[in-house]
Amino acid sequence: MASIEHIGAACAQTGLLVVLGPLVTGFIQKIKARLQCRQGASVWQPYQDLAKLLRKGTVQSDTASPFFQVVPVLVLAATVTAAAMLPVLRSSVGSSALPFGDAILLVALLALARFLLAIGALDAGGAFGGMGASREMTVGLLVEPALMLVVFSVAIVGGTTELGDLATRRHTLAAMAWQAPDLLAFFAMLVLIPAETGRIPVDNPDTHLELTMLHEGMLLEHSGPGLACIALATHTKQIVILSLTVALFCPYGMAQDITPEALGLALAAFVAKLFVFVVFLGVIESSYAKMRFFRVPQFLALGLLCAFLSLALRIL
Amino acid sequence: MATSVRASGDGDKLTAHPLVDKGAGPVVRCAVWLGHWLTLAGALAGAAVALRVLGGSAPVHVALPKLFPFAEMSLHVDGLSAFFLLVVCVVAVAASVYGPSYLGAHAKAPLVQTLAFMVFVPCMALVCCAGDALTFLLAWEGMTLASYVLVVSDTADAEKTRAGLLYLIMAHAGTAALLAVFLTLTVHAQAFDFPALRDAAGRLDGSTRTVLFMLALLGFGAKAGVVPLHIWLPAAHPAAPSHVSALMSGAMLKVAIYGIFRFGFALLASTTGPLPPSWGWTVLFLGTVSAVFGVLLALQQHDLKRLLAYHSVENIGIILIGAGLAMLLGGRPGTERLATLALAASLLHTLNHAAFKGLLFLGAGSVVSRTFTRNMEEFGGLARRMPWTAWLFLLGSVAISALPPLNGFVSEWMTFQALVLGGARMGGASGLLAGIAASMLALTGGLAAACFAKAFGVTFLGRPRSAHAEHATESPAPMIAGMLLLAGACVALGLVPGYAMRLLDRPTAEVMGGLSASAVVAARGPLVLSAGGGPAGLEATSISVTLAASVFLLIAVAVWFVRSWPRKAPRRLAPTWTCGMTPTSRFDYTATAFAKPLRLIFAAVYRPHRAIAREPGPSPYVPRRLVYSGEVVDLTETVFYARFKHAVTAVSQAIRARSTGRIHGYIAYVLATLVIVLLLFGKG
Repeated sequence: MASIEHIGAACAQTGLLVVLGPLVTGFIQKIKARLQCRQGASVWQPYQDLAKLLRKGTVQSDTASPFFQVVPVLVLAATVTAAAMLPVLRSSVGSSALPFGDAILLVALLALARFLLAIGALDAGGAFGGMGASREMTVGLLVEPALMLVVFSVAIVGGTTELGDLATRRHTLAAMAWQAPDLLAFFAMLVLIPAETGRIPVDNPDTHLELTMLHEGMLLEHSGPGLACIALATHTKQIVILSLTVALFCPYGMAQDITPEALGLALAAFVAKLFVFVVFLGVIESSYAKMRFFRVPQFLALGLLCAFLSLALRIL
Repeated sequence: MATSVRASGDGDKLTAHPLVDKGAGPVVRCAVWLGHWLTLAGALAGAAVALRVLGGSAPVHVALPKLFPFAEMSLHVDGLSAFFLLVVCVVAVAASVYGPSYLGAHAKAPLVQTLAFMVFVPCMALVCCAGDALTFLLAWEGMTLASYVLVVSDTADAEKTRAGLLYLIMAHAGTAALLAVFLTLTVHAQAFDFPALRDAAGRLDGSTRTVLFMLALLGFGAKAGVVPLHIWLPAAHPAAPSHVSALMSGAMLKVAIYGIFRFGFALLASTTGPLPPSWGWTVLFLGTVSAVFGVLLALQQHDLKRLLAYHSVENIGIILIGAGLAMLLGGRPGTERLATLALAASLLHTLNHAAFKGLLFLGAGSVVSRTFTRNMEEFGGLARRMPWTAWLFLLGSVAISALPPLNGFVSEWMTFQALVLGGARMGGASGLLAGIAASMLALTGGLAAACFAKAFGVTFLGRPRSAHAEHATESPAPMIAGMLLLAGACVALGLVPGYAMRLLDRPTAEVMGGLSASAVVAARGPLVLSAGGGPAGLEATSISVTLAASVFLLIAVAVWFVRSWPRKAPRRLAPTWTCGMTPTSRFDYTATAFAKPLRLIFAAVYRPHRAIAREPGPSPYVPRRLVYSGEVVDLTETVFYARFKHAVTAVSQAIRARSTGRIHGYIAYVLATLVIVLLLFGKG
């Protein structure tokens, strides 16, 4: 019984993340538009884009292998599975009968999605796809260790890498009260968020100038429902990274038991926290220019350094 | 305007010859098949023995016929031996299934190679099973010589002869170190068998044992390809026939790892108390350096097999990280569970690496046997021509990049958990070092993923970039069967790791004296991975890769259903958009281009060197030809070995300059030496 409840809660939370994902993008676009004194598209625009793409036909490169069609599906599946590892509304109490995944598996699943997307980009055999894949993998391998270090820095006092348990232990464990290392790790996370969500100053989601794009470069040859899958995966990945930050650093307000009031409160808290991040991303996107690609490693090294210092402070 | 861009890399072409060797008559072909089948039968028998011992039956002890008057020789298969025997046999089975077809298509000297193969595999198995120093050293030497024959037999080209020579020198330098260790122990023990040696080692003092362990580490490290002793590996592995490369990388390196385990945890370990911390730290440090350095260099390789060889250096590093941590934590109160976790991670990665690296080398062999080159820049578009090879190679790539849900992820997850929890338990500077190792391991994973996105993408996707790649066909069934075997192992070890833990029970219990791997890692059922031993009173992490994989599959099927729902709008094919030009294979991203950002970011390690030669045309603005070449260096080779070589050369030249060639001079040298020796040692 307990395990059925657990699975139900996990499914509901994952579904919530997938459904809310495009809305986060819509809000960021809206905030950017307002900061640039434009009216901007409706916040629901990403949903309309998805619906339109799903109705469309597909144009596929004639050099692509059969694997090309499977790539978007696998990328979406990997990202959604990663979303399933996150506590959103309810942080688990004690260990569940059926453990599922932890932060390491989450990061690894996102890496799997990135790997598959890069391979799909190389499949069509154009220079843009290859360039996008090469750059995305380069950024990815710089982000991943920093992200792992942030996780380790929190996990080393929490004694676990399971995000639900970590969220609960933030409340219960005295050692997990906010301290200097948390601040450093949180700052590292703020550096990593734009990189992981493909935003300025690392990448520019709006550009379609071939030489400046990373993530979009890999999507050039995808079209129709396939592109819809990848777009949804991108929205989901964005909200996954934001929720990961929430679960690691500020899981306050999560429901301990399943009652309508507690869940409503948790939802409100979650949406409020998301909104803060959305404003942060919107403001950063509007106030900075995209970095030259070879400046990006230095920027990410800042994140890596902070994450490492945070871990060092914890251990020493 | 004719602009030719020649990519860097060692694109040494294999001579293209007809698919079936002209010289290989039916008799030769039968002999090749027979030889491989015999090896297959032997490997299956070995695996059966190994599984029986791992399953819990008593250790197997076999007395060998007395070859030398001064020593008894024997085989002794305990848990640790059985596990490594299993690793060797798994790769050997796949290689023997794969081998005959490969040799039939490719070999210059199939008979010699079959014979050497038949010596090589049993020798590896014998090293793992040896019960005494003499058997161990004889089998070790047999293994080295047989693999040397396999390395140099494929072609007569000078580079491969040099690779073989380098291998032989490094291997024998290692063997010399081992010989010193064994001789020291046998002198004290007055016997050759391992229990006697262990007793003798127990009577030695701590510092002597540490010196002996470092010597053994040097000897085995040279064979395992630990940085900086790895330089022979990327030269020798690609030179051998591909199924032998799979064996050398998947099994032979593991035999050296077995040596480190046998010496570090059993022969030289004191019977009471933990191992000295210096052992664990050395192994952990070497492992971390090898992991990062190996994968960094792998990224810049454009020879497919050389790339895989550098990845072996990386994976040996990951294995050693686990082993080093187990040495540090083992035998100390309160960290037994963590030590067992680290050891299990290390052993599991040994088996995992054998499976996926064997698979990748066999896949590379299929490609090489169809395109007659190892240069990745000349592949492309093979996925549509060799679908089985391509998808199996992709599976291996996902596994080696430590991506879920395959086996590479499972062992890396365990290593991460052990490092993080171990770091928390050790605290202070030691904990920080463990943290550094964890971050390096994370970096390694990202680099490996980038490297295999390149290796798979450039080799199998896009358009063919050479005539051979364009006309490539799928490999014959036995070769695919060999790959399928190892691919099955990769999937099984990833999805049901709890069952693999049962194979580790016996070795971990023997080494750690008590706790078995299942009790720690599979404590909550075979489908759940748990990491025990965190801070007191807190439940540690558990995950289920099986469940995650099922959810992944379910979602993928559901999405696929939605995606391929019939629509009014048609699905059509069109050429890739290339800014309005007619697409050709020249538009594809090459391996050199793919790795370029990393070459710039990690320039401090690579020391990249590039040269552009222009051949001027009629106008200074339009060159007729543009030749680009670039290469990266292996830092150990330039910093360490080049200086060593210079020193040796300088000494030799000094000696040569003082060699007059007249007999009087030499007599004077002899007399001078005699006088000095008498002055030094004459008193006693």
